[in-house]
Amino acid sequence: MTIKNIIFVGLILLGVVIAMVPENTTKPYKLTAEQMLVEVQGAAEMVTADEVAHWIIEKDPTLQLIDVRTPDEFQKFHLEGAVNVPISVILKDEYRDYVDQGVKMNVLYSNGTLGSHQAWMILRQLGFQNNYVLQGGLNYWFDTIMNPEKPASTSPDEEFAKYDFRKAASGVFGGGSEATLTAPVQTEAEKPVIKRTQKKKAPAGGC
Amino acid sequence: MGPLVPQEIIGADWNLFIAFVVGIGFGFVLEQAGFSSSRKLAGMFYGYDTVVLKVFFTGAITAMLGLLFFSLFGWIDLNLIYVNPTFLGSAIVGGIIMGAGFIIGGFCPGTSVCAAAIGKIDAMVFVGGIFLGIFFFAESFPLIKDFYMSGSMGPLKVSDVFGISGGALALLVIIAALIMFKLGELAEKKWPREEY
Repeated sequence: MTIKNIIFVGLILLGVVIAMVPENTTKPYKLTAEQMLVEVQGAAEMVTADEVAHWIIEKDPTLQLIDVRTPDEFQKFHLEGAVNVPISVILKDEYRDYVDQGVKMNVLYSNGTLGSHQAWMILRQLGFQNNYVLQGGLNYWFDTIMNPEKPASTSPDEEFAKYDFRKAASGVFGGGSEATLTAPVQTEAEKPVIKRTQKKKAPAGGC
Repeated sequence: MGPLVPQEIIGADWNLFIAFVVGIGFGFVLEQAGFSSSRKLAGMFYGYDTVVLKVFFTGAITAMLGLLFFSLFGWIDLNLIYVNPTFLGSAIVGGIIMGAGFIIGGFCPGTSVCAAAIGKIDAMVFVGGIFLGIFFFAESFPLIKDFYMSGSMGPLKVSDVFGISGGALALLVIIAALIMFKLGELAEKKWPREEY
């Protein structure tokens, strides 16, 4: 057997092996458990409701809100400009351009923080950048931005500044002022109208 | 882990430098394999020398097997590999033009630069022709743009078209290559040339 024939046979054998084995379609996690632990403890992925409110009001073009709740919940209420990427389909290719990109700043939110954080953990471990979590979720959003609580008169000035901002923001979002603290349902009903006038089809920049 | 450049494990500057080194190596190997001789290259079309077929198909098979096995071992994420988008119509016409130029001129773009580098005058003329071609193509682009963009199929893989796995296609390509190698050797025996 000449060297050439040995090489031929070797190539065919390699070909047979690669044809028999299943394709490795697993998407390996890019971050190790240790790296994730550091990231989770650092909590750098958290953005506060005040920050998000600020960006929405300023119409920050880099902000992309991503609602990871179910479509039903999304229909009932969502933050303006948000896109709905339910966590059950977050790995589908059609949403890849939203969650894996290097241009926009994705803020994931759910009712609390659990769903959004689950989504964030998965995306982060895949190595995707620019994904953040709305701290406290929509519940906290309603408590602070939509229905801000007036700080005690002995509070430091920053608390009052924060309160003033929240009150103003609440007005922008059509929420109740401090007087309508008991009517969050009403604010929920008003919201969708505002949102639909907003640009919902924000193009997510791919590479 | 891989690919290294898209994941920025290797930065853009190093990418250029590595490309430079690889390019030099590629040219050197081309020259050493005798690819700076237009007679050797033209031999592919006349049948008296099929080294071109063997070298390039061997290179393709090596890269193909390497990528598939690396993917199997989890060393590389094939989804991040850039796949050239397919424009069917322009690819066919472009291939015919390129093949005709290859036979007439006796070089492909890479080997012409390689041969020009060792001082072959016909290769220098060929390189000049390449630049003329690039110029006329660019100037006439508005006229042929529609055709150029026709048959767009996106970044398509042959294995997807046939609906088989990448590994199965690899085996078929290897078998096809080995058959072609054998046919090439038969051709070399049938249409031999002494001096070229």
